[in-house]
Order: sequence, then C-alpha cells, then structure tokens
Amino acid sequence: MSLDLPLIFAALMGLAILLYVVLDGYDLGVGMLMPAADAREQELMVAAIGPFWDANETWLVLGVGILLVAFPAAHGIVLGALYLPVAAMLIGLMLRGVAFEFRVKAEGWHRELWNWLFWFGSFLASFAQGLMLGRYITGFHSGFGYYVFAMLVGASLCGGYVLLGATWLVLKTEGELQKKALAWARWGLIWVALGVALVSLATPLVSPTVYAKWFDFPRTLALMLLPLGTLAAGVFVWLAAGRMKRGAREPDWTPFAGAVAIFALAFAGLAYSLFPYVVMDRMTLWEAASHPSALKFMLVGVAIVLPFLIAYTAFAYRVFRGKARAGLYE
Amino acid sequence: MDNTDVLLLARAQFGLNIAFHILFPSLTIALGWILFYFRIRYACSGDPAWLATYKLWTRVFALSFAMGVVSGITMSFQFGTNWPGYMEKVGNIAGPLLAYEVLTAFFLEATFLGVMLFGMNRVPGWVHIFSSAMVAIGTTVSAFWILALNSWMQTPAGHVMDGAAIIAGDWLQVIFNPSFPYRISHMLLASGLTASFVVAGLSAWRLLRAGDDASARKTLRTGLVLAAALAPLQVLVGDLHGLNTLEHQPAKIAAIEAIWKTEKGAPLVLFAIPNDEKRRNDFAVEIPKGASWILKHDANAEVKGIDSFAPDVAPVAPVFFAFRVMVGMGMLMLLAAWSGVWATRRGRLPQRWMLWAFSGLTFAGWIATLAGWLVTEIGRQPWLVTGILRTADAAGGVSGAQLGASLTGYIITYTVMLLAYMVVLTHLAGKGAHA
Repeated sequence: MSLDLPLIFAALMGLAILLYVVLDGYDLGVGMLMPAADAREQELMVAAIGPFWDANETWLVLGVGILLVAFPAAHGIVLGALYLPVAAMLIGLMLRGVAFEFRVKAEGWHRELWNWLFWFGSFLASFAQGLMLGRYITGFHSGFGYYVFAMLVGASLCGGYVLLGATWLVLKTEGELQKKALAWARWGLIWVALGVALVSLATPLVSPTVYAKWFDFPRTLALMLLPLGTLAAGVFVWLAAGRMKRGAREPDWTPFAGAVAIFALAFAGLAYSLFPYVVMDRMTLWEAASHPSALKFMLVGVAIVLPFLIAYTAFAYRVFRGKARAGLYE
Repeated sequence: MDNTDVLLLARAQFGLNIAFHILFPSLTIALGWILFYFRIRYACSGDPAWLATYKLWTRVFALSFAMGVVSGITMSFQFGTNWPGYMEKVGNIAGPLLAYEVLTAFFLEATFLGVMLFGMNRVPGWVHIFSSAMVAIGTTVSAFWILALNSWMQTPAGHVMDGAAIIAGDWLQVIFNPSFPYRISHMLLASGLTASFVVAGLSAWRLLRAGDDASARKTLRTGLVLAAALAPLQVLVGDLHGLNTLEHQPAKIAAIEAIWKTEKGAPLVLFAIPNDEKRRNDFAVEIPKGASWILKHDANAEVKGIDSFAPDVAPVAPVFFAFRVMVGMGMLMLLAAWSGVWATRRGRLPQRWMLWAFSGLTFAGWIATLAGWLVTEIGRQPWLVTGILRTADAAGGVSGAQLGASLTGYIITYTVMLLAYMVVLTHLAGKGAHA
C-alpha cells in the first residue's frame, strides 16, 4: 500500500496552521489588550506570554513552510494573491516581536513608544491575517463587497484573538487583572460569533461546491454538529466567564479550553468546506503537490522530529506553568 | 513597468531582507556558544561576576534572536512570492532542506530559548545548562541546512531529472556538495569573529564608562582571545574556499580578481576601477603574473578571464570591491585582535584609545560578512542555481506597484528596527552587568 503523501502533508499543514492560530493567537490577543491595562498589569501580561511567543510564531513558519515545500504551485498563487496583506502581517509581526524585547529595556517615553508599537504590531498582524482568511475563502474574487467582507473577517479575527488572549490571561493571572480579563473575553466572544456567522454564510454563497457539500441531506444533519458544537462552546465560555466573575470557583483553564474548542471546530468546518482544494475551486492538493521523492524525504524528517518537538514544547509549557509573575528577566 | 524593473525590485526587496536577516544569525550562531561558555564558567566557579555576565549577554542574545526570527519569517514568505520560478524549478531540492531547517533547528532554539531566558529559577541547574546547549546547537544546525542549500545553489550536485522535474538522486551528495564544507566553515568562523567583536566592542564601551567593571574585563578578554584565535583560521579557510571556487565557479574568481581576458601569466590587480561597460580596468595597479602565481602557484599558468564566460558574467565592479572590503576588514580584525590580546595580558586594562578602537570595531564582523555575502551572491549571477536556473527566470508573479509599496514599508521598518537595536545594545552595554 502506498501512502497518500499530499494528503498527509495537507493534514500536517492544517495542524500547523491551527496550532499557530491558537498559540500565536493568544499572544497576539494579549498584545492587543495592552492599552486596556495599567502599567503594573502590563508587566504581568507580558510575563504571561514572554517565554512562549518565539516558539509560537515558529508554527507559522512551519505552516507556510509546508505550503511552500509540499504545495509549491499553491504557495505561488495564494501568497501572490495575498501579497499586500502578507506584507502588512509581516511588518506587524516584526514590530511586535522586537517591541516585546525593546520595551523591557527601555525607560520613560521610549517605553511608551514600544508599548504602542507592541499593540499596533499585534493589531496589524491579526487584522492582516483576518484579511487573508477573508480573501482566501472567497477565492480572491475582487469587488467592493468582497473587500468589505474581508475587512469584517479581519475585525472578527482580531476579536477571536482577543478572546484567546483574554482567556489565556484568565489562566495565567489572578485578582483584579483576572476579573478584567473575564470581561475582555466576553467582548471577544461577541466578535467571534459575528465572524463565524459571516464566514459560515459567505462560503456557501460564494462557492457552489461548498454549498453542495453542506446542504446535502441527510449528510447535513451530521454536519450540523459542527456549528452546533461551536455554538455550545461559545455559550460555555460565556457562562463560565460569568460564573468566575461572580466569584464562583471554577478551574481557571476552562474559558481558554472553550475558546480553543471554538477555533478548532470552526477550523474543522473550514477544512471540510475547502477539501480537497488548496486554492478554492481551482487547484486540489494533489495538483499542487511537489514530487513524491521530496515529500518522502520530508516525511522521514517529520516522523523523527515531531515527537521530540511535541515533547520539548510540552516541557517548556510545564516549566512555565502556574500564574505569571512580574519581573520576567530577574 | 517592464520586466527588468520588476526583476530589479524583486531583487532589491529580497536582497534587503536577506542582508538584514543575515546580520542577526551571524551574531547569534556563535554568541549561543559564547553564552554556553559563560554559563559553564558560572556553574564551575559560582562567581557572581560570571552570572551577571551571562545574564547581560542573554539579553543581547534575546534581542538579536528576535530580530533574526522576525526577519526570517519574512523570508519564508518571500521565497515564494518574489521567486515563484525558483520553487517551481528546484523546489523538490530546496523545499526539503528548508523544511529540515525549521523542523530540526528553528523549533529547538525558539523553545529552549524561553527556558534559557526565563527559566533559571524554575528548573534545576543542569536542565538550564542543557537548555543553553540546545539553543547553541539549534542555531548551528540552522546554519548547517541554510548553508547546505546555498552551497547547492552555487555548486549543484546529486540531482537527477525525472521527466521535467529536478529531484534529488542522492541526498548526501546534495547536502555535501562540493562547496559546502568550505562555505559552512567560512560562515561559522565569520559568525565567531562577528560575535567575538561584538562582545569585545561592547565590553570596551562599558570599560570606557567604568574601568573597574570586573565582568566587562572578563568579556573583553574573552572576545579578544576568541577573535585572535579565529582570525588566522579564517584566513586559511578563506583561501581554501577561494581555491574551491576557482575549481567550481571560475567565473566568480575572474570577477573577484577583475581579470577580463584569459591569459598566461595573468597580473594580480591590487587596485582598479573595473569598467563593466568597456570591459576593462581603469586606473589599475597590478603585480605582473601575480594572479597566475596566487591562483595556480605557477607564474606562467593560464588564468581564465571574464571573456571566456561571456555572456554569463556577473557585474565585476561590485564583486571586486566587496571582496576587497571583506579582506580588508578581515586583516583589520586580525590586527586588532592580536594587539588586543597583547594589551590585556595578565589582567591589564588597555589604554583608552585602544578601548575606543575596539568599540569602533563592534560591528566590524557585520561589514565583513555582508561584503563576503555580496561577493558570493553577486559573483554567481546571472545564475540563481548555477547552470540550472537564471535569476531572471525565477522572478515574477507580483506586480511592480505591490513590490514598490511593500519595499517602502520594509525599508522604513528595518531602518527603525536596526537603529533601535543599536541604541538598546549600546545602552545595555553602557550600564554593564549586574548580579
């Protein structure tokens, strides 16, 4: 039996992108929340993401890397069509990455400037990623309506990252800041609801293929589990945040877990819509795949390295478990 | 906008990005190992000055690493957007090498960096030392894959055709291609020199502020001794690399030496202004038969000139000048390191003018590295992959307007980042290490 290599790499790419969205999503979200906090809280917020952000962004490189090396034909089309939002995202990621390091070392108005750039970079990167998603799922059609749609998805993704960031802070902080984070989480959730609804409505409208895949009885009934699950996860986060705000004892990881579930379910729905295309209705993953010899060689590397990668990522998260403390570099 | 302009913009953008990026890995590859050394010295001696040293330099490392990460992410996108023809033609070779870099190195260094930076009080000492080692190993492994790919593009080997596709026939031959051993040694030594001059230079800067800083004295000495040991090695490896290039990419050597015509007993051009339009050297100062003697070790041997490779020739003037900048910086660094080692013997503090000189040379390694990179990358033009793919055939896909707009954005961002980086570094170093 021979392995379906393009399918395996598509699954790996999906996994890398989902992990990126969740992991970098929470630290981008914390970045966007910075202006809402005071100086002391900002230190805690930074400490809550400090040990992780470098490695989180690496998942983006892996995701794009797989697109580049396993599906080179699609890489050219997708990133060519998304050239400007990609450039904006990269500039955003650069600004926030260095601002994170610089702000620790700066004093006075310098620090204020880097704080502002940290916020701006986080926002720019998140918004640009949302734009990319919006353009991608509508097959890069041009037209005023499509651009407005992409902007709305951009705003929703910012909201989604705020949700991830806020729930991450619920997990990593305590006291007043945790209370604030619970309120932020609810704001994020509203935007997420809007975004998920928009994308779910738009994709079948834009693409008859997607429409046919979702509205095909009796399969539709089983498929409805996805949106219903997403809705349930959203309600769960909303209620858990409410209970915690009123001071009920609740494990502090539940809102974050709920937020991750929302992203995972939405992602699964999107993956189902797209499959087997890497470029909507234009190019399947088998058409875009590179030569089997290259895929085989890479698969060997992935099989060997992935367990180690997961192991030491888990190790790093274990080392920094528990509540964040200020004074990161001490 | 016609195609030449788009090609030029695509090259300018990618060149800017990669030149900016290379600054930081060239520092962090070796700095990772220097940090590991500081960490071991602290573990063995328990001396708080070593701990303070370690902490100060991990900050410098974190800053430089972040700059490298963010500019590296940008590159992973630009491979495809600026050079779609590249992945199309040689993606089956380049792709896996890049993938292995991300898998084996990028995650390793990024993950353990967190533990190294913030975990000292959270993990046992040996785990922390282990994490420091993993970061150093990660940066070096990263260099291994990138240099393997770059070397393969310069001197391709081990590939076969499968229909129209170029695929790897033998991965070991692809990785260990003819120029790889020389190029990776040259690059690692360049990194060693870059890092040791940054360490020595910033320590000298601190000593100008406070001459009694025990930690800065230690690191000044460390940087100088390391540089003094590596500089002569680099001269040797550089020469071997040159001979390897003569064998596999003779056109590049002809451009470096500005030898326009194939002749027996070719002169060595000491100085000239190569004139690419008229294909000759203006204001040349030459040593008769010098090039034949240096390159072939025989004063009357024939040396191939640029004419024998036409029309596939690189622009001569930039290669010629960049090479001389690289060698000149190398010699200056050798001289500075050796006199520095002498001036700091048995715990002495060098005179102030000398400290100023070391401070001035803080980023000397960057200049030499960039110059060397220009020599090797411009020198292989018009080829992107020697004999397989021309640079002009790899560009395309993106419009000139988009390239122009994003290039402007990148230039502004990079300028701000580089300025801030240097200011923060000098500021950190000026304050010195505190236990």
